[in-house]
Amino acid sequence: MAVIICSTPTKPLRAVVPVKGLLPLIAPSLVLVLFFAIPMGMMIGISFQSQTEGSPTLASYSRFFSNDLVLAGLARTVVMSGLVALCVTVLAYPLAYYLARATSRWRTVIFALAIAPELAGVVLRTYGWLIILEDRGFINSALIWTGLITEPLPLSKNLFGVVVGLTHVILPFGVLSLLTSLQGINPNLEKSAQILGASRLAVIRHIILPLSVPGIVSSFLIGFTMAASAYATPALLGGAGFKVMATMVYEQVLFYLDWPFAAVMANVLLILMLAAGFIGSRLESRLHQKLHL
Amino acid sequence: MTTIDIELLSVSKQFGANRIVDDISLAIPKGKFVSILGPSGCGKTTTLNMIAGFEAPSSGQIRIRGRDQEGVPPEARKIGLVFQNYALFPHMTVAQNVGFGLKMQGRPREEIADGVSRALKSVHLEGFEDRYPKELSGGQQQRVAVARAIAPSPSVLLLDEPLSNLDLKLREAMRVELKEIQEDLGMTFIYVTHDQEEAMAMSDRIIVMQGGVVAQEGAPADIYGSPRTSFVADFIGKSNILPASAEPGADRNLKVSLGAGKAVLTAARGDDVAPDNVRFCCIRPEAVRLAEAAGALDEPANRLTGTVQKVVNLGAYIEAWMLVDGGITLKSMIRSTRLEKLSAGCRVDLAIAHSAVQLLEQ
Ligand SMILES: Nc1ncnc2c1ncn2[C@@H]1O[C@H](COP(=O)(O)OP(=O)(O)OP(=O)(O)O)[C@@H](O)[C@H]1O
Ligand SMILES: [Mg+2]
Repeated sequence: MAVIICSTPTKPLRAVVPVKGLLPLIAPSLVLVLFFAIPMGMMIGISFQSQTEGSPTLASYSRFFSNDLVLAGLARTVVMSGLVALCVTVLAYPLAYYLARATSRWRTVIFALAIAPELAGVVLRTYGWLIILEDRGFINSALIWTGLITEPLPLSKNLFGVVVGLTHVILPFGVLSLLTSLQGINPNLEKSAQILGASRLAVIRHIILPLSVPGIVSSFLIGFTMAASAYATPALLGGAGFKVMATMVYEQVLFYLDWPFAAVMANVLLILMLAAGFIGSRLESRLHQKLHL
Repeated sequence: MTTIDIELLSVSKQFGANRIVDDISLAIPKGKFVSILGPSGCGKTTTLNMIAGFEAPSSGQIRIRGRDQEGVPPEARKIGLVFQNYALFPHMTVAQNVGFGLKMQGRPREEIADGVSRALKSVHLEGFEDRYPKELSGGQQQRVAVARAIAPSPSVLLLDEPLSNLDLKLREAMRVELKEIQEDLGMTFIYVTHDQEEAMAMSDRIIVMQGGVVAQEGAPADIYGSPRTSFVADFIGKSNILPASAEPGADRNLKVSLGAGKAVLTAARGDDVAPDNVRFCCIRPEAVRLAEAAGALDEPANRLTGTVQKVVNLGAYIEAWMLVDGGITLKSMIRSTRLEKLSAGCRVDLAIAHSAVQLLEQ
C-alpha cells in the first residue's frame, strides 16, 4: 500500500501576484472608473434628485411603480427580450452544432456568413427589415400581388417586427456562445452513443443537449440582455406605439428633460439585467455541477 | 469450420488525394482476439472507423456476419467500441453509462439493471454504480468503457488503443484482464495498437499494417519467428537486420553474404524466398548465442568469433553488441547468469543456428 504523507509548508506562502504585477492594470482601471463607474454612480445619484426640491427623494421611484404605461413598457421589455433570447437560441443551436462538427471548407464560409451581418451595423440591418416587413414592404406587396391577402399583414410596428429584427442582430452572439460549449463536447461521445445503438435523435437528446445546457443558458442570457438594452431596432421597427425601457429612457431625456425619471428607468433596466445575469450564472454553475462536467 | 465474423474485401479509403487504406482484405474469425498492429498514421483507426460505420470505404466491401454493410449506419451494426480516451458520458453515472446500450435497445428496467451488474462484474467494478466518470481513476474509467461496450452483448468488440493512456504496470495487468474477458465471453476482439508487445501478449492473430497496406498477417509466433519483410522484423521485437545476398549452398542450405561479402553465414532454406531475391537478413538477438551455452544446441549452427563492444544490463538479460569477423555488428540478448564474464573488449565465440538466419526480400 502506498502511504501518503501530508505536510504543511514550513515557510509562509508568498503572494502569487507581486504588487509589480498589478502595474499594467492601472490604465484600464482608470478608464473604467472615469467612464463607467463615475457615470454609473452619478446616474444612481440623479435618480434620487428632485426637479423642485434639493433633498434626495424617492418621488421618481414611486412615480415609476405607479405609472401603468411605464410598467407596461417594463413588461413589454421582459416579454420581448425573452422571446428574442428564445428565438436566438433555437436558431443558433443547429448552426453552432454544424460549425462545431464540420470539417469541410464550407465551415469557414458558413462561419463567415454567420458573423458577417455584425459588420453591417444595427441601423442598416434594421432598415433592411423595415423594407421587408412594412405594410407596403416586400412581403406584404408580394402577398397582395398574388391575391392571397387584400389587407397588409401587421408585420412591423409591433412585437413581431421587433423580435424578428433583434433576433437577426443578436443571432451571431448566440452562435458564438453555443459554439464554445458544443466544441467542448468530445465527438467520440457521439460515436460511442451511436455504436451503442442510439439514433441521431437519441444522440442529440441524451448526449448533446444535456452537455450543452451551459451554452444554452449563456446564449439565452446574452440574447436577453442584448435585447433588453437595444434601442435602435425597437425604435425603428416598433414604431411610436411600441415602447420598451430603452426607448422610454431616450424619450424622457430628450423630450421631457426629466433626468431623474430617466435615471430611475435606466436603473430598473440595469437591475433587471443584473438579475437575469445573476440567475443565469447561478443556474449555469448549478448545471455544471449537476452534469458533472 | 471457423465462421468469419468480419470480412474486408479489397477495402480502400481515400481522403482527398491521400490513399490512407489501400486495398486491404481481411477475414476475422469469430471468437478470436485479433490485433491490428502498426506505426502511428498507418491507417489503423481509419480501418476501425470503416468497420464501425463512421466512414464509408472509398471502394471495396465490408461484411459483418456475412452481410454487406454498405449503407448500414453504426447504430445498426451491433458492434462494440472502446476508445483510447474512454469517451464516457460525463453526465451519467457508471450504471447509466454501462446501461446506455441496453436502454437504446428499449430493454425493460430490470433487464438493464441485470446487464449492468453482469458487465460491471466481468470488469471487477462492482460497487461503483453510482459514481460519475470524473470520480474514477484512469484504469477504472477504462474498465467502465469496456463494460459499457460489452453490456449489450455485441458479437464483435473494436478497441482503439484502449490501454495507451495507462501507466506500464496497469497496462500489463489490464492486458491479462482484457484477454480473460474476451475468452470468458467468447467475443471477437479487434484490437488496434502500436505496441507490439501488447499485440504479442494478447492476440490469436496479428495483422501488421504499414502505410495503409497489410504487411503481414498470422499467429504471433509465426510473425515473430518468420517475418516476411524487414519492416515487420524491425517492428515486431528486436532484430539485427543486415543487407544481404544469397546463393545456393551445400545440403540444400543457402550461403548468405553479409557486409559486402566479408562475412558469410549459412541459412536453412525457407520455402518462400528465392535466393536471387534476398535483400536482407534478419537475426533475432536471442539467436546470437555464446558458443558454450549453445553447446547443447541440437541443430546445425554458424560458428563465429567476435569482440564485445558494449554491454547493457537489463536485469534478467544483458544486451551486448558484438563486432564479429567480417566487420559486422550483431546485437545479442544473453541471460544474465554470465554477466560477470562479459565486458567490453572480451573475445567471444558465438553460435547462430542456421534456422535463425532469416532471409527477407524487402
Ligand atoms: N478525416 C480525415 N481527413 C483527412 N485525413 C485523415 C482523416 N482521418 C485520418 N486521416 C489521415 O489518415 C492517416 C491515418 O490516420 P489513422 O487515424 O487511421 O492512423 P492510425 O494508424 O490510427 O494512427 P495512430 O496510431 O496515430 O492513431 C493520417 O495521416 C491522418 O492524417
Ligand atoms: Mg489511431
